[in-house]
Amino acid sequence: MGARRVLVVDDDPTLRETLGEVLTDDGYDVRVAWNGQDALDKLDGWDADVVILDVMMPVMDAFGFQSALGERSQPAPPVILLSAAPGLSSAASELGAVSIISKPFHLQDLIAEVHRVAGPMNGAAPAGV
Amino acid sequence: MAITEARQTEGRRQAPVRATRTLAELAHGPEAFRLLVEAVVEYAIFLVGPDGRILTWNLGAERIKGYKAHEIIGRHISVFYTAEDRRNGRPERNLREAARRGSVEDQGWRVRKDGSRFWADVQLSPLHDDQGNLFGYAKVTRDMTEVREAEERERELVVERQARALAEEALNSRDRFLAIASHELKTPVASLQVAVESLLLSREHGTLDDVRTERGIERMDRAVKRLSMVLGELLDVSSLERGTTSFTFTDVDVSRIAAEVVERFAGVEPTDRIDVDLQPTMIRADAIRVEQVITNLVDNALKYSAPPDRVLVRVAPLPNGAVIEVTDVGIGLGLDSTSGLFEPFARAANAADVPGMGLGLFITREIVERHGGRISGVAGPDRGATFTVMLPTHPPRTGDGGS
Repeated sequence: MGARRVLVVDDDPTLRETLGEVLTDDGYDVRVAWNGQDALDKLDGWDADVVILDVMMPVMDAFGFQSALGERSQPAPPVILLSAAPGLSSAASELGAVSIISKPFHLQDLIAEVHRVAGPMNGAAPAGV
Repeated sequence: MAITEARQTEGRRQAPVRATRTLAELAHGPEAFRLLVEAVVEYAIFLVGPDGRILTWNLGAERIKGYKAHEIIGRHISVFYTAEDRRNGRPERNLREAARRGSVEDQGWRVRKDGSRFWADVQLSPLHDDQGNLFGYAKVTRDMTEVREAEERERELVVERQARALAEEALNSRDRFLAIASHELKTPVASLQVAVESLLLSREHGTLDDVRTERGIERMDRAVKRLSMVLGELLDVSSLERGTTSFTFTDVDVSRIAAEVVERFAGVEPTDRIDVDLQPTMIRADAIRVEQVITNLVDNALKYSAPPDRVLVRVAPLPNGAVIEVTDVGIGLGLDSTSGLFEPFARAANAADVPGMGLGLFITREIVERHGGRISGVAGPDRGATFTVMLPTHPPRTGDGGS
């Protein structure tokens, strides 16, 4: 079985690079994108098992990304929303997200959520060992 | 003689006859005007002699002022005035003014028989005989106390409502400030937390090598710099809104400042995508603040567009100042969002959360206005936007901190 695929979409470079690195360490096949448009490009011919998606980004935000993705033939992957804005439950249902994680957050909480949604990986350095 | 007495006399004498007389017949008789005046209870209507002594009385006068006819006829009108008005000669002055100008209207406090006050609206008109000699006055007084009190209550209500609206506005503004401040701070805090926790995780897994340590420190450094930048912006907004920021105006070449800003960005942007058209332009301005303006505009243009889209920075002299223009072909402003763009924390609706934009553009506008300049944002024909700043050769003298 191939590695589970995670796409990390966030306009903050520190956040997306760090998340990408940690999840790669965990054994996931990770791609990163800095906005919705970039994410669509990264998903071209590459089906993700989960998308970690920031809500508000320049060029194309989460709403634009989800509606553009809906027009594609490929099945929409489950989404974990990341956001610094309060009151996002309505946005979450509109975006069909499986969960919301508010910034700032604990890295372990996000990793646990990715495990739950995409299934755990037995990578080079499994968490908690 | 008092009108009430006249009625009683007539009533006793000709009661049955009176009932058969029509008002039309009465209207031609001598008592018609007496009846008319008597019927009025809303107004005190009476005649005053040239010496200011009261000659007649009506029911309205009795109701408003509290005197019976026999108590007041023959007395001077000054009894209706307050002690202070009497000292100041207001009753005599009103009579003189009425005689001279043909009529006088006066509003003020008057005193009833029982000593209580009422707010009066007084109309005093002179009466002349056939030879044109003054032989008295007609005085009409209305009790306006309730009207005045109602007006006063209305005024108080309006003032109260305005005060409440202002307080609510201030509160809303503060709430917005706190909401945006916490939101702006959450992003770098999240980065910092993730960077720190990933290092801790690596240490836990025994995979913390020099490369990871180095990279983690760099990320933490970046996040902390971002945090202090946001903090600085928040303090800037607060200080600019209170007007406590001081400006130091010197002779500056705007094109040189722009060149320095662009050079700094070229080092940060992965692909250099800033074009320049810079002509030497000397004005009197605060160099650090102008640099902040150009930095904010370029930063904004870069955030709202993506490689390979290009950003153009143009500086040129104007007959009376300088123009700075920054154009991008990014997502643009959205047609409805230009008006509120420079309000604190307003953001283009189609890019609700580009970090720093809300604060940056507001700061920019404040700085430009303190220089006596103007800023405008125009959406591109298809997408993108052009921000134009015009600064005068000399800042306004009223500006504080000028040197």
